[in-house]
Amino acid sequence: MTVAGFQIPDRRVAWRWARENLFDGSWNTALTVGMVVLIGVALYGVGNFVFASAEWEAITANRKLFFIGAYPRDEAWRIWAVIYVLAGLGGLSWALWSRISPLLAIGGAIAMIPVFVFMAHGEVALLTLGSLAAFGGGYAFGKTPALSGRYRNTARTVAVFLWIASLPFSWVLLDGVPTRLWGGLLLTMVLTVFGITIAFPFGVLLALGRASTFPVIRLFCVGFIEIVRGVPLITILFMAFFLLPLAIGPERTILFGIPVTGVDTATVQRALAGIVIFAAAYLAEIVRGGLQAVPRGQTEAAKALGLNTFHILGFIVLPQALRAVIPALVGQFISLFKDTSLVLVLALTDLLGAARQVSAQPDFIGRQAETLLFIALIYWIVAFNMSRASQQIEKNLGVGER
Amino acid sequence: MTQDQMSGRDGEKRVGTRNIIEARDVEKWFGDFQALRGITMSVKEREVVVIMGPSGSGKSTFIRTINRLEEHDKGTIIVDGVELNNDLKNLEKIRSEVGMVFQQFNLFPHLTVERNITLALSHVRHFKKADAHDMAMRLLERVGIPEQVDKYPAQLSGGQQQRVAIARALAMQPKIMLFDEPTSALDPEMIHEVLDVMRELAETGMTMIVVTHEMGFAREAADRFFFFDEGVIVEEGTPEHFFTNPQEERTKLFLSQIL
Repeated sequence: MTVAGFQIPDRRVAWRWARENLFDGSWNTALTVGMVVLIGVALYGVGNFVFASAEWEAITANRKLFFIGAYPRDEAWRIWAVIYVLAGLGGLSWALWSRISPLLAIGGAIAMIPVFVFMAHGEVALLTLGSLAAFGGGYAFGKTPALSGRYRNTARTVAVFLWIASLPFSWVLLDGVPTRLWGGLLLTMVLTVFGITIAFPFGVLLALGRASTFPVIRLFCVGFIEIVRGVPLITILFMAFFLLPLAIGPERTILFGIPVTGVDTATVQRALAGIVIFAAAYLAEIVRGGLQAVPRGQTEAAKALGLNTFHILGFIVLPQALRAVIPALVGQFISLFKDTSLVLVLALTDLLGAARQVSAQPDFIGRQAETLLFIALIYWIVAFNMSRASQQIEKNLGVGER
Repeated sequence: MTQDQMSGRDGEKRVGTRNIIEARDVEKWFGDFQALRGITMSVKEREVVVIMGPSGSGKSTFIRTINRLEEHDKGTIIVDGVELNNDLKNLEKIRSEVGMVFQQFNLFPHLTVERNITLALSHVRHFKKADAHDMAMRLLERVGIPEQVDKYPAQLSGGQQQRVAIARALAMQPKIMLFDEPTSALDPEMIHEVLDVMRELAETGMTMIVVTHEMGFAREAADRFFFFDEGVIVEEGTPEHFFTNPQEERTKLFLSQIL
């Protein structure tokens, strides 16, 4: 039996294996004993902190700050509405596309419940469970005879449109509260989801432009990609913050003599613009790799059938190119998710910003370890689920491939 | 003596009198390398033309200029009355009337057999879904594998894949079919199933240009035969002429090597 490439010895031979590999000679024995002691001490230290000396009240007293920042409690229904819509759509899509039982997704969600319940007072826990119900409801709806049979293709098309429509819908709904009040996990997720979904089409266009036969388009795309990839994200965020108002919008107010001071309400949008610019350049390079992986014969066969350039791209080249780079794309999505924490430099209170704020509160001053451990756990849960989802998508799309 | 009788077969098929393809002094360079050094050839309606020659002789390049997968640098090519050049507005329309079968099949691996066949029908010919499906089924029956309609290309044998590729090209109801070494990538036991389909297609009167080394097919199905070497036509004639009485030394040498 092997796990991750390592030979796991049979139980009966475990002792022999240990003797041959861990205790063969005095030097190795000393090393083994030393390492066991070190690991033990470290584990004891962490365990002691987590279960005994840590003041988790720093977290529980700041639930709202961690999850939605300064978003007013009375307006939280907007966030719940978005979550319910997305959960319902997720369930519906799972029913329409996946060949695997939703128990897997629900299992993943249930694994997250302890975190939320730990965070939640009754009402929030109920609403969280409710979103699971929305997922189940969407799934059940997708599995009704009509949708899983005769109208399956129509339902899939509608679902795709609903997903696209859900983005502006979510933004408008959340925007009932000024973006400067958005914070915590909410802000992190907004920056990630909108960053990815806006950057992705631009990335594809840049990749196609880089392969274009028109020199002007090719030069522009190569220039954009290489310049952006040569600049750190943190610089791009600063530039977006200071240059974007000069480039679009507020410069008009200067022209009319109205001074612009302080933090603009549009900081979130500026950060998002920076993230989109940054992500588009990286995604473009990944997509380019996928485009190069599609054999020339595919384009030739499509041309020989009389398909035009758009059909060839949309039906033949892009589906194969993107499929080939799903792992790299999701890897980029995950790093983008984690990189959103850099918006801290624009004084936005994302998940990391919330953690910093808590450890500056008079009651919890210096409780960095608790807050950082907690947000690390949240980052990990989300990133791990993204990675799992990518494996699922690969499996679903892998049919018929060698 | 008429053209038909010259073809040596008993008149099931009538080779037409109109030139459907006319190529004059076609030249093509790849960088400094000249792949075609002045090819002049015309093909009549319902004629089956076989092109042979050693690798690098320009035979594949030449048939790829006919649907403009390669652009020729000099000379003229007229396909069904339309001259191929850079001003062409409706290249897609011309291509849809010239079917092509490739050595490496080039099926779309992410689409089912049915989608492979119906994709261009839906988006170029604007067929309704049911009509496209019917057409796909008819063609799959014609090439002998209707039961594979829902499979993906990777689930088929090489011979079956090539037959799907032929069905895909035929779905557009082309006036001309180009075959670029259609059996060269196949295991020997699968070659005959593809050649059978091609032979049947020739008998129904399809205009075909076939680049191949299959002597049996050339002898039975070809009306005319061309031997290419180093970008020029070395010898042309009927298959009988070619197999019994080749004139050029280069042709004789090539034949002695592959027969």
